Amino acid sequence: MPLNAENDLRRVVVGKASELGPGERKIVVPFRGRAGIGVFNVAGQYYALRNLCPHKLGPLCVGRVSGRPVAAAPPSSYQGVPEIALDDQVLRCPWHLWEFDLTTGQCLVDPQMRVKMYPVVIEDEQLVVYADPADLPVPPPAHTRAMQAQEVAEPDNAP
Amino acid sequence: MTTMPGTRIITAPGWTGQPRTDIGLIDCDVHQVITKPEDLYPYLPRIYKQQVIEQGLRIPTSGYFNVPQNAARTDLAANCDGDKHNPFNDGSVYETLRDEHLDVWNVDYALLTGASMYGASIVPDPDYAAALCSAFNDWTIEHWLARDERLIMAMAISTGDPQLAVQEIERLGSNPRVRAIMLPTGNRMPYGNRFYHPIWEACERHGLVLGIHIGNEGAGMAGPPTGVGYPTYYIETRMARPQMAMAHAVSLIAEGVFEKFPQLKVLIDEVDQFWVAGLMWHMDADWKSLRDQTPWVKRLPSEYVLDHIRVGSQPMLEAANNEQFMCMLDAMHAERTLVYSSDWPHWDWDDPATTFPKLPERLHRRVFADNAREMFGLPQRNTGGEAH
Repeated sequence: MPLNAENDLRRVVVGKASELGPGERKIVVPFRGRAGIGVFNVAGQYYALRNLCPHKLGPLCVGRVSGRPVAAAPPSSYQGVPEIALDDQVLRCPWHLWEFDLTTGQCLVDPQMRVKMYPVVIEDEQLVVYADPADLPVPPPAHTRAMQAQEVAEPDNAP
Repeated sequence: MTTMPGTRIITAPGWTGQPRTDIGLIDCDVHQVITKPEDLYPYLPRIYKQQVIEQGLRIPTSGYFNVPQNAARTDLAANCDGDKHNPFNDGSVYETLRDEHLDVWNVDYALLTGASMYGASIVPDPDYAAALCSAFNDWTIEHWLARDERLIMAMAISTGDPQLAVQEIERLGSNPRVRAIMLPTGNRMPYGNRFYHPIWEACERHGLVLGIHIGNEGAGMAGPPTGVGYPTYYIETRMARPQMAMAHAVSLIAEGVFEKFPQLKVLIDEVDQFWVAGLMWHMDADWKSLRDQTPWVKRLPSEYVLDHIRVGSQPMLEAANNEQFMCMLDAMHAERTLVYSSDWPHWDWDDPATTFPKLPERLHRRVFADNAREMFGLPQRNTGGEAH
């Protein structure tokens, strides 16, 4: 995997773009002590987030994805039930449930906090993430590289 | 107006200095109580007067033993040195308050917080309860407010029927000397519940502070004094008080009371104070995780505390050393949340001089005067038409 010389990012092929439908995600290389990367399809757009919650370093990208309830007034004001904003766009870390906007990385409960995001592009129908090598596994010995590439493309089993 | 320079030697142990006269002093918890049911007769409707004659006031109590003489300081009481005005004095006598407290410390304003009617909210008959409160309020106005311009008043209110509570607020809430209502910590539901909202709406409309004073827990229709039920002794209920204040504060915030009534201010009296720091941190952490359950709570819960909730200082806790004490004041944002309260005339009262270590002047001004003045919307100093 060649390094992108300009910003020192590594090109990671995630898989065929057509195999990651809206609302789906794929966790890339979440092992060997590195955070890994989560790639999400939000309404047809792809986003790649570091799989590391800036709050308590939890595995952010295996959290629930949904919307965020909003209400103009308390229910005793009888102005209707809460609505859902940012539907299918809010990721909640499985540790402590802090919310992040998948499209920006912004933490929604702490304006000082955001999760690291990476560029995602489609090259020859392949989803490609340009990732920080620090979030990727240590390059394995040459004879295991074929197996490694296969692992990288494995869909994750997270809920 | 009857005021004197604050130059008398008073009884607080260790107090050797003179009261500060250049800094305002507002006391947010001074109790006035009736000493006998007959005090209320001139103000009660005939039907309720007759009921009281036949069967007493019927205000529920919890049955715990506090201390004798209605928990009053014996140095103010009958047959003890200090009583000059009333052989039945349990401390709650205007002349005693004037001579032994207001004049001594140059108190600018003292909030009359009652106590006789804290149980009105848990009297089963809401019409009788409302009549009791009205009578007590009229008695307070005539026998206390009229006698000293330094006195301001928290109305007695029964929550039994919120519409009757609103009526009472409409009746008296425009009196500039009425600055608050006062309710007990022990009641049927936490105070964020929408059942109470018409009362809070009326408070906001009249600029009245919602006061919550310790009391009533475990009595009548109120919930038990602790979340785990009834302790055996008064000392236990007292040690466990902060959980009640916390439950009310949490309820007010979570139910969106401060979103609905953005001008409403809350004063929590006699539940000590350092719990505020921990609660703010606790609420903020829970909000960050679970705010989806109450999306109308749009800000960090601690911000509602800082903007809306004030805590009376008494009983001011004593930390192991001044350094820890100041850390706790800092953590609870005392410069915004803490107001001096004495709990006159009770045994556990806090005098203005020995309750705190020496505070930085700015913090001293916030705690002893400015926070309360802003909460009640009072003038800079109470000159009462003459210097004092």
